[in-house]
Amino acid sequence: MRAALEGIRVIDLTIWFQGPVAAQHLADFGAEVIHVERPKGGDQGRGVRSIKALPVGDWNQYFLVINRNKKSLAVDLKQPRGREILYRLAEKSDVFLSNLAAENLAAWGLGYEELRAVNPRLVYAITSGYGRSATTTKPAFDMTVQALTGIMSRLGEPGEPPIYLGMGSGDAYGGLLAALGILVALQQRRHTGKGQIVDASLYGAQLLLAAPTLQAYLATGDERFSRQRSRRTPENPLWNTYPSRDRWLFLCVPNDDASFARLRRALGDPAFARDARFGSVAGRREHASALVDALDALFRSRSADDWMAQLRAEEIAASPIGTLRDLSNDPQAWANDYFLETFCEEVKRKVTIRGLPIGLSKTPGRVESLGPELGQDSELLLADLLGYSWDEIGALKDAKVIP
Amino acid sequence: MSGALDGIVILDLTQSFWASLGVALLADFGARVLRVEDAAARGAGSGPDAARARTPWDWERELADRNKKSLAVDDRRPEGREIFEALVRRADVIAVDRPLREAAERRWDYETLSSLRPDLIYARASGFGPQGPDRDLPALDELAAARTGMMPILPQPDRPPVHPGHGPMYSAVMLALGVAAALHHRADSGEGQIVDVSLLAGNMYGASLDLQAYLAIGGERMLAPVSRLDMGNPMSGTLYPTADGRWVTLTMPDTDRWWPGFAPLVGIDPKDPRFENHEKRCDVNRLELMQVLERAFQERPAAHWRDAFNRNQLSADVIEDYSFPEHDESAYRNRYLLDLEHPSFGRVKSLGFPIFLSDGTARLDRLAPCMGQHTGEVLHEWLGIDEDRITELRTHGVVV
Repeated sequence: MRAALEGIRVIDLTIWFQGPVAAQHLADFGAEVIHVERPKGGDQGRGVRSIKALPVGDWNQYFLVINRNKKSLAVDLKQPRGREILYRLAEKSDVFLSNLAAENLAAWGLGYEELRAVNPRLVYAITSGYGRSATTTKPAFDMTVQALTGIMSRLGEPGEPPIYLGMGSGDAYGGLLAALGILVALQQRRHTGKGQIVDASLYGAQLLLAAPTLQAYLATGDERFSRQRSRRTPENPLWNTYPSRDRWLFLCVPNDDASFARLRRALGDPAFARDARFGSVAGRREHASALVDALDALFRSRSADDWMAQLRAEEIAASPIGTLRDLSNDPQAWANDYFLETFCEEVKRKVTIRGLPIGLSKTPGRVESLGPELGQDSELLLADLLGYSWDEIGALKDAKVIP
Repeated sequence: MSGALDGIVILDLTQSFWASLGVALLADFGARVLRVEDAAARGAGSGPDAARARTPWDWERELADRNKKSLAVDDRRPEGREIFEALVRRADVIAVDRPLREAAERRWDYETLSSLRPDLIYARASGFGPQGPDRDLPALDELAAARTGMMPILPQPDRPPVHPGHGPMYSAVMLALGVAAALHHRADSGEGQIVDVSLLAGNMYGASLDLQAYLAIGGERMLAPVSRLDMGNPMSGTLYPTADGRWVTLTMPDTDRWWPGFAPLVGIDPKDPRFENHEKRCDVNRLELMQVLERAFQERPAAHWRDAFNRNQLSADVIEDYSFPEHDESAYRNRYLLDLEHPSFGRVKSLGFPIFLSDGTARLDRLAPCMGQHTGEVLHEWLGIDEDRITELRTHGVVV
């Protein structure tokens, strides 16, 4: 079976997450992705030893999953002969992708103009921090950029600290957009025969990530879209989180009389059903906090499973609010390949990994290998793809251009 | 100027903000997108939203339907269905977000439509994916986010779970990316296919690192909120309050690199033996360093810290609200945000384009259309239907 991006070769000179995951999407769809790393230590992502103060475990899942399906070329780009290797690779590639600082790329002769001179068909993709026309030049990491977008400030109960959307949540988004930009540029190349610059910056990506509320704020200037808002003062108390005896529930009931009647039946509490304050759409809005209190008390009286059975019987949209453990056992996620099992060379056993979020019915993505060992493909790439003789390769090793 | 996706024709049958936005990302680059709307459902809104009713400008649709044209047809009637099928034959891509059963009943399913156009790319947006026991659940982000496992761990300990609501934005880009990959394959092979994206997949992808860490490491600490003063690295992923009641955040994971520049700013001698190497900072004296930083940041206001971070090129910043991007000139220069002159609503601000292409860059050719705004034009220019016939179809309510 063919893969969707078969025949596309990508130079992946990236570190950490945002850049590597952009290339990972391309690799999942069958592009040949060559992760280019410094000989000493490689991609900084290899150095992750702990997460949340817990040891990362016997396999380095951080690096190995992000860089799955890739080859690794270790090369010292500070040396002219290292750069020469990259130029020769650029000649034979379709995409160059980097999230290194622009100064580094310039210092190593890896700017757009230099690589375009080598290969005018090359798509030159960068994932900058703040965009091409930004005045900010300091390093950009996910959370520091997320902080600027405003998305963190609106989450949580009033008075609580701002909330980060999760490890690498914005990087993941920047990576998706970079992959999209690359494929769009490749599509244009079919007509023009030329490559071009693609920049999907972390800041630009994260502004779009905030769209559901940021677009509303830009349109109205209404601070309800930008400030923390308590779950005790919702627009519609029937569309809210509630604590059951054991777990929280998400209840999604429109504020109309027919839906409320179904909810009342599901709750089965005569006193609640009789409460005149909640008898109309306007009443439920006006007495929102009282309604939240009443529902809090009711929901706390029984388990989430009990409530779900009652709610389902009335065809009410609701869900227990699960944990990552619940998700890891969720048959729905497994049925759609959102999880996969794959063999891990490092520990010689099958491991569970996040799978394929995008389904393609005839050319599905796949995971054929986890991330490469540092430099594992250097010699073969030099010999087979770039036409170096074994003597030349030996000399490059002696000079520590490649390990 | 030519667009990167010139020549690609997309029929957009979606209703949800996120699926429509996914299609808009392709329209931004020049794909010719026709929204096919339901002439029989004229006037039906896309869901209750009290805040939205306060302004006449539908800002969600402005974003999700920009650069698109709109045709309204009642495809349940034979003449309407004929028009619909003629459009399908002209399309490279169709995007659908109806539940599977409804799409089948409407004869909008892949089998039916690909029989009209064998190399069709059929983008299907759902709540929970096309397989599995819950594939028919409603496509609500709340339900998908509730299952993803992040809501309980986002807040501080013992606080209610948090629903950020951005999950569908991942799914939107995944839709565009899946279509772009499928277009690539089709150009090489002539083969169309189904592209599937879902809210569950989007939420899960957004949670990639937390999720993968749980899968590999496991344990209760991954399942419950971690206090902000108990983070794994005092200098990375942390939040500290400032003197003026605001917050700063730090991301300097490889602390050895940053320590000499950072320590003096917060009043620590870089050679302080308690924190002299990465292991001491992130392991042995991790909690102590957090307490020191907690006090240090509270001694000065946010503006002081921003200035200090910028002067020293540190990976750290002040946490802002939406008024920051709203007034950030660089966001407009980069066209991440747009300041528009809207013919009906005057000066409005909107999200712009997250991806820059030097040659085929995204552009705003037209604002979101009204329902049926281009019906006559499309019937005439795409399908060669003459004026008299169009008038007749309108009179009978087949098109609007």
